Amino acid sequence: MAIMRPAGDFDRSYEQDMAVVRQRWQLGLLLVFLAALYTLPLYASGTLVSLVNRIGIFIIAVQGLNILTGYTGQISLGQAAFMTVGGYASALLMAELGWSFFLALPAAGLIAGFVGLLFGLPSLRVKGFYLVMATLAAQFIIPWFARNAYRDLLNGAQGINVAVPFFRLPVVANTCFLGTTFEAATGSCLYRFSTPSQFIFITLTVLIITTVAQANLSRTRFGRALVSVRDNDLAAELLGINLFRYKLRAFFLAAVYAGIAGSLLAHNLRFINSETVNLADSVLMLGMLVVGGLGTRLGPIFGTAFVLLVEEMVTTLTPILIDWFPGIEGTATAALRPLIFGLALVLFLIFEPRGLAHRWTLIKAAWRLRPFAH
Amino acid sequence: MTVRWMRLSLVFTLLLVGLIACGSPAVEPTPTSAPAPTQAPAPTEAPAPTEAPAAPTEAPAPTEAPPDPSTLSIVEIAAADDRFETLVAAISAAGLADALSGGEFTVFAPTDDAFDALPAGTVDSLLADPAGALTDVLQYHVVEGAVLSGDASALSFAPTLLADRNISIDARDNGLFLNGEAMVIAADIQAANGVIHVIDHVLVPRTLTFYHFGDLSGPLAGVTAPLITGFNDAVAAANAGRGVYGATIDLEFTDTQSSVDAAVAAYDRYTSESDDILVMFTYGSGDGEALMSRFREDRIPNLAAGLSSVAFYGPESGYTFGYAPIYPEQFGLFLDYIVANWDAVKPEGAGDEIKLAYISWPTAYGQGALTPESRAYAEQLGVEIVAEELFDPTPTADTTTAILNAQAAGANVIYTNTLAFGPASILNGLGVLGLRGQFLVGANNWAMDVATYAFLSDPALAAGMISPFPYLWWTDVDNPGIQYVSQVFAEFERPIELQAVGYLLTFGGVDLAIMAIEDAVDAVGFDNLDGQAVFEALTKMSETSVLDGLFFVDFTDGSRSPHIAQIRQIQGGPDAFVVLQDFAATPDLVPAETFDLGQ
Repeated sequence: MAIMRPAGDFDRSYEQDMAVVRQRWQLGLLLVFLAALYTLPLYASGTLVSLVNRIGIFIIAVQGLNILTGYTGQISLGQAAFMTVGGYASALLMAELGWSFFLALPAAGLIAGFVGLLFGLPSLRVKGFYLVMATLAAQFIIPWFARNAYRDLLNGAQGINVAVPFFRLPVVANTCFLGTTFEAATGSCLYRFSTPSQFIFITLTVLIITTVAQANLSRTRFGRALVSVRDNDLAAELLGINLFRYKLRAFFLAAVYAGIAGSLLAHNLRFINSETVNLADSVLMLGMLVVGGLGTRLGPIFGTAFVLLVEEMVTTLTPILIDWFPGIEGTATAALRPLIFGLALVLFLIFEPRGLAHRWTLIKAAWRLRPFAH
Repeated sequence: MTVRWMRLSLVFTLLLVGLIACGSPAVEPTPTSAPAPTQAPAPTEAPAPTEAPAAPTEAPAPTEAPPDPSTLSIVEIAAADDRFETLVAAISAAGLADALSGGEFTVFAPTDDAFDALPAGTVDSLLADPAGALTDVLQYHVVEGAVLSGDASALSFAPTLLADRNISIDARDNGLFLNGEAMVIAADIQAANGVIHVIDHVLVPRTLTFYHFGDLSGPLAGVTAPLITGFNDAVAAANAGRGVYGATIDLEFTDTQSSVDAAVAAYDRYTSESDDILVMFTYGSGDGEALMSRFREDRIPNLAAGLSSVAFYGPESGYTFGYAPIYPEQFGLFLDYIVANWDAVKPEGAGDEIKLAYISWPTAYGQGALTPESRAYAEQLGVEIVAEELFDPTPTADTTTAILNAQAAGANVIYTNTLAFGPASILNGLGVLGLRGQFLVGANNWAMDVATYAFLSDPALAAGMISPFPYLWWTDVDNPGIQYVSQVFAEFERPIELQAVGYLLTFGGVDLAIMAIEDAVDAVGFDNLDGQAVFEALTKMSETSVLDGLFFVDFTDGSRSPHIAQIRQIQGGPDAFVVLQDFAATPDLVPAETFDLGQ
């Protein structure tokens, strides 16, 4: 995007060219923004905190999809299924093996990652639409498995209840620190992430880690290899890139991200079953990525926030519409959500196929280049 | 005695004149058609609050031969009585003295002690806003027309001069109570323009909020919309009556599009916006299960329509209450019935053994009837579950494969824990395959509903379906509860297709919530009312008739759902849900590991 910069502002070294945050003031701004997010529960309404929490969780899953679809060009409709795997995995690790949530979370990511590897295998032989079908299989097989296998453990289609994440601290000088409360049963200080204003700390921290990881990924040899696979796989192969290995790695990473997001979602909801995240969510996440901008760092963030905010708007709008036009409940209102989502998607594909992230770059450029439009 | 009486009448008459002059916006039906001026004339000209009591006190001269009390107006009688100094001052401050001296009114007059009992500073803050809050509170104590205590005790509520606000009236052994907290300590003080009843508590126009969320724009919108409309109508009807001890019910609703995620978000929103939620209503089984531990942590009772066994009795539950037996118990009762009456109900050509196929949705709700307890019960009854099949929770789902699998497994009974297009999909599938005659079809309570008919290719396919039926139906017109719902339904001019189970039952839910909150007010008073108090009131409800017998609940001894139901069969159209077996106890299929609320 160097061409969008004003004259005279160019990179003088490779490091500068590769920097995630180019200028100090940008870093400052970013830190202020993060501080504002972390302190959100102090000044924002519970509704907003809960919404940001949900958006954060889905951004992680969409970031995973961005690695696979955005960077590597492998379309997947299985992201929600990998989230299901992650959700069940960490729930069971906590409930059955007594693991701490903070261990179960990365483990859930890894488990989902390995399941993702399995469904990535067909990518060696098939591309495009055919790969979509192969990943779609994950979206059917995994929920089927959750419903039918190991009923004692997975409780069939009814699903399982998921524990609230918590940590314990010893009592120091007769006081409980860090907002924990004394628990008589164990004689220790307990902190439970039970409300959105508590859970959001986990979500934001994980989100920062996944965002940094994704940003770094795109500027490594590995990231460039993924992009070359997307842009021209034959050329990439001739340059010595093992297509199969890189595609599989992309599948693995995408599923790890999904697993982590699924785990967060399940613990936030305290419940998971085979339908909690479903095919519609897989499609929705693909839509979020398209709206945000495929293969960009900011795309998942913009796209997810945009789509979930539109959904929130529909939710708020429906009762108002019913007030205005009595009699439309159940029929017209049911069509509203898919209609608006579909419309947004089509409009983006026509007018902004490179997504919101691209628009954001243009806006930034226009600001820098003011008062000249071009 | 007579002297006092005459004195009172004099004050009364004077008061009456004042009342008529002032009047007020009469919103509710005005029974006596008193000339109701639409606005209180010139409130600002009223004497300053402190001066108020001065003039009227002179009116009745106690030592002299008193004038006929019935010639005094309400205001004059009050002014002459030293128990009402605050009230009279307030009436003057609000400029209502003239209004209350004409017309014909019933005034519930709180004593000075009653005003003193209000939290410190309340009276001052009321007096600081004479045209607003003070006028509202005073108007809330006045009912149009003269209602003697004998007549009042026959009433359940009365509309006040405050727009859209009613007071509740309860005749108890120890006297007449208003809004559950104010007792009439002296009744029937006649005035020239009405009657005064002295009360020991200031009546405050209150508003309580009921919180609920459901699907208005998601896949189940067609099914839940009648339920939500019913809820709105039930609350509107309650507000037009006695509300909750006179308190008006406000509704907070969020459209969750059948997403548990959105339901949790709605819950988070409600709990962050209000600290004193009294009760919430949920519809989906998944919602109930995801939220059960939160209800318990936040001490908010949940009245749930989704009757999942886990949501009601799971180890982390305890604050969820239901209108009907949990799904496993409904399934158990259905099995009881068909086992006892197999020869009468069995499909033509079926053998003596009952082989059941469970065909349902792959959701928490769809699978809700099959629990370890209900499986064990089926086995105990000798009913073999030969197939468990799933189909999509969409109106266009294809069930033929599931049915053919059931047939291949030798099933002669199909049971489904679905609703509306769920049972309809199965019945349509049976119709397409020409196999309707080979299976006895059973379903839970939600399935036996007019909503099912909307999705049937041929209404005749539904005939013969058997369901547990834990409440009465629209056709049970002898029941006063049904009469009430039908009347409201007609008043709101709802289309006939809304005459569904959802609409009917939400009236029960609202009635149950009102009863519980009123019990809680009796126990702790309005000032200490919270979710925990309502929870405790619910847990004390034993053999309680909801909406005049629409259904019965008993939440004592750790029970969270009713355990009785009828068995009904569809014979003919949607209005013919015929009772095969009257209310009988369901088998006890509550999970072994259940909640322990401890203390």
